[in-house]
Amino acid sequence: MKKIEFKGVKFFFIIFIAYSVLLIFDNSNTLISLFKAYHIFGTLIPIFIFIIILTAFINYFLKPKQILKHFGEDSGKKGIFYSIIGGILSHGPMYAWYGMLKDMREHGLKDGLIATFLYSRAVKLPLLPMMIAIFGIEYTIILNIYIIIFSVIQGKIIDKFIKVDK
Amino acid sequence: MPMMLAIILLVSIFQTYITPETISKFFGYSGFYDVLTGTFVGAIASGHGSISFIIADGLKEQEVSLYALSTFTLAWVTLSFISLPAEASVFGIRFTTYRNILSFLSTILIVYLTIFTIGILS
Repeated sequence: MKKIEFKGVKFFFIIFIAYSVLLIFDNSNTLISLFKAYHIFGTLIPIFIFIIILTAFINYFLKPKQILKHFGEDSGKKGIFYSIIGGILSHGPMYAWYGMLKDMREHGLKDGLIATFLYSRAVKLPLLPMMIAIFGIEYTIILNIYIIIFSVIQGKIIDKFIKVDK
Repeated sequence: MPMMLAIILLVSIFQTYITPETISKFFGYSGFYDVLTGTFVGAIASGHGSISFIIADGLKEQEVSLYALSTFTLAWVTLSFISLPAEASVFGIRFTTYRNILSFLSTILIVYLTIFTIGILS
């Protein structure tokens, strides 16, 4: 039976201590922080549920061999394309996606494609109107094109670095 | 789960202490200094991406350069120093180091290239 991992217990303990200390010295702001944390957690619940369902779907429909084929060493342009689209369409904070990416990585997802996915998340479709209003349409289009180009470059460089290290 | 909770709690502390008013105090110096500040502050700050645009809009009125505003908003959505411990524990220190250094440099390069391209096109 697979042992359940509880990653980050030490980190959580450090944050817990920090909160305890802050509670003594700055009671009101600590309570505000706790309230904000409660609010953030509440807004993230639908995203977590979505990611859990998506992970389950990937595990069910994409067998390790298929993950290797679509996102592994020989995935080529198709893997890059899927990673960019996935990154652009993904919502919520970056850390919410770590679990799913880790799971796929264990089944063969390339490190470079993780980097591509994470950087292409900077193309925020719901925020485009706001971006256009502040920076203009020309700027928004060019910036987002460069973001996609650099997400691919980052992926390629990381794959090279990881290979060299190995 | 403990890692996720720890990050959420950490993000909340940052959101409480690093307010938009605090952020705006960092800007308004020389060109490249503001670019670096924008990248660092964007990487440290946290919250929904729309907040970065609201702050950027306010900073624009203070005549902060387009370079600085762009790096700030881009770093906000691409870099997250707060979640570095989580990223390192999930993907390893080597991957996390490479990715974050590359993202940091990309953010600055993308902004300069964007403004350069707009200059050429116009």
